[in-house]
Amino acid sequence: MIKLEKVTKSYKIDEETTFYALKESSVEIKEKEFVSIIGPSGSGKSTLMHLIGLLDKPTGGEIFIQDRKISHLNDDQISSLRNEFIGFVFQQFNLIPKLTVLENILLPSFYARKKLNYDPREKALALIKRFGLQSKENSYPNKISGGQQQRVAILRALIMEPKLILADEPTGNLDSKTGREIMELLKTLNEKEKITIAIITHEIDIAAYSKRIIKIKDGKVT
Amino acid sequence: MQYFFFIIKSAFEDFRRSKLQTFLTSLGILIGVFAVVTLTAMGLGLKKYISDQFDALGKNTLFVAPGKLLQSGGFGASSLLGNRFDLKDLNRLKRVRSITAITPLSSKSGTAKGTKKSEFVTIFFSSEAFFDISGFEIDKGRLLDKSDIDKRAKVLVAGPKIAEKLFGSINEALDKKVSIDNVSFTIIGIIKSKGGGGFGGPDYDSYFFGPYTTGFIFDPDKKFIRFAMKTDENINISTVKDEVKKEMLKRYEDDEFSIVEPTEILSIVNGIFGIMNIVLVAIASISLLVGGIGIMNIMYVTVSDKTKEVGIRRAIGARKNDILFQFIVEAVALSIIGGALGLGLAYLGILFVQPFFPAYMDVTSVALALGVSSAIGIVFGVLPARKAANLEPVEAIRYE
Repeated sequence: MIKLEKVTKSYKIDEETTFYALKESSVEIKEKEFVSIIGPSGSGKSTLMHLIGLLDKPTGGEIFIQDRKISHLNDDQISSLRNEFIGFVFQQFNLIPKLTVLENILLPSFYARKKLNYDPREKALALIKRFGLQSKENSYPNKISGGQQQRVAILRALIMEPKLILADEPTGNLDSKTGREIMELLKTLNEKEKITIAIITHEIDIAAYSKRIIKIKDGKVT
Repeated sequence: MQYFFFIIKSAFEDFRRSKLQTFLTSLGILIGVFAVVTLTAMGLGLKKYISDQFDALGKNTLFVAPGKLLQSGGFGASSLLGNRFDLKDLNRLKRVRSITAITPLSSKSGTAKGTKKSEFVTIFFSSEAFFDISGFEIDKGRLLDKSDIDKRAKVLVAGPKIAEKLFGSINEALDKKVSIDNVSFTIIGIIKSKGGGGFGGPDYDSYFFGPYTTGFIFDPDKKFIRFAMKTDENINISTVKDEVKKEMLKRYEDDEFSIVEPTEILSIVNGIFGIMNIVLVAIASISLLVGGIGIMNIMYVTVSDKTKEVGIRRAIGARKNDILFQFIVEAVALSIIGGALGLGLAYLGILFVQPFFPAYMDVTSVALALGVSSAIGIVFGVLPARKAANLEPVEAIRYE
């Protein structure tokens, strides 16, 4: 489903020095998989996550999404891919504070260019109910708990029915109990809804929820 | 459509969260729009006032005045000091067939003693035709008639304002004696208010009107300062002008008299006010420019403040143009808020000055104010918006 082939991300620090955040790394994530990318901080896992999430472009190698070369796509096409294909879950939740829970969840649907075969509002309300956030839909993010915020972020990731959910340290800002709940939730989504899930983490316990672990160290996938 | 409403709604949510900043940002536009709209309203009002004044004189009127009136920049000194007309001229002009009514005019200023108080007043001496030519109507009593002229009657028709001043009320003034420079007159009538005066225009309500023959008491030379005449509606006014000119040339040199149509003066005065108004509005527009720069400045700050938000929006699929649009909408909304407040303030200001200044607002200035402020929003919002749209998603989302 998504494949990184000998992907390099480097930054020129000065004339002589080049810093390699990621060096000729190849990763493949197959459909319906639940993988975790694990590595210590500074290992390049965030860079990897940005590349898989199409937020950044590699300086070398090629990324394929369903066998399509990303390097051939323009910015608008990549934006649409992020919109339709990938759902993001971040460590800091990254909800927009001035939008309500419902509006945050709906936000990706406002940017959709394809015609959706469902009403996003109805879907959002159904998801809110299903994930125990009823009566919170008109609250602003700062009025709900961290665990609830992360759940809102997951619902925002789900609203476009993406193929892939990309979660960057999704439990990093949560206590361990709430963190476990969030991980269980992701696990359920993978098992019941058959959504491909990739999480980036530095915690072994969290990685243990996944079925496959990709290790990364010093910018190399091992 | 939903997308559009959503963007506007979230812009206003931002404004709601920082009301003071929003207000201060739009203040520049507010002041600019206020200044432009108010000045336009005053200019329009002034123009309308002047043309109303001329309309009151009627369409088919002509004046003959001494000197060259409309040359060398307006009312030359010769019109006040130069040669004046006499009865011979009156009789000559009466012979012009396309003139249906004519009155000579002279004036006298002096102190009038009424029963209540004394006032410095001006009397216009004319024939009975004057009231018809100038469009005056009687309120109480009667106007001058031909026998008043023939008999050199010491009678006056009063403007309502002066009648009230001197005698307390219009009714009191009727049939009363008033002495002006030791000559005693009887007030035979009071005209209906003509309004006007106040700034530059003649305040007919404060004048007296008497028979021109009686006016000779004050002027043994029996001279007139001007003739006013009504022309035959069926004859082109320029034809009448030519006939009058021919008659006048028999006695005077070309540069010793002027024949003036009120519309000519009107177009000159309008031209002057038009230029004045353009200059004033141009100066006021500078504040719109400054306001626009203020918006641009704040929008740059907003882009920095919202870098993270831009990153989030890009991550979930917003295109560059979505971001561009969002920031332009915000700038335009800010600018329109300023424009609308400025317009409201201008409206109140105009209501406030209306009792003593004929300002009025028209639809064009409303449309212009809102159009110009949206244009400012777009023009000054586009650069910051482009900066926001061109943020790298990965940089933006990492931004704290």
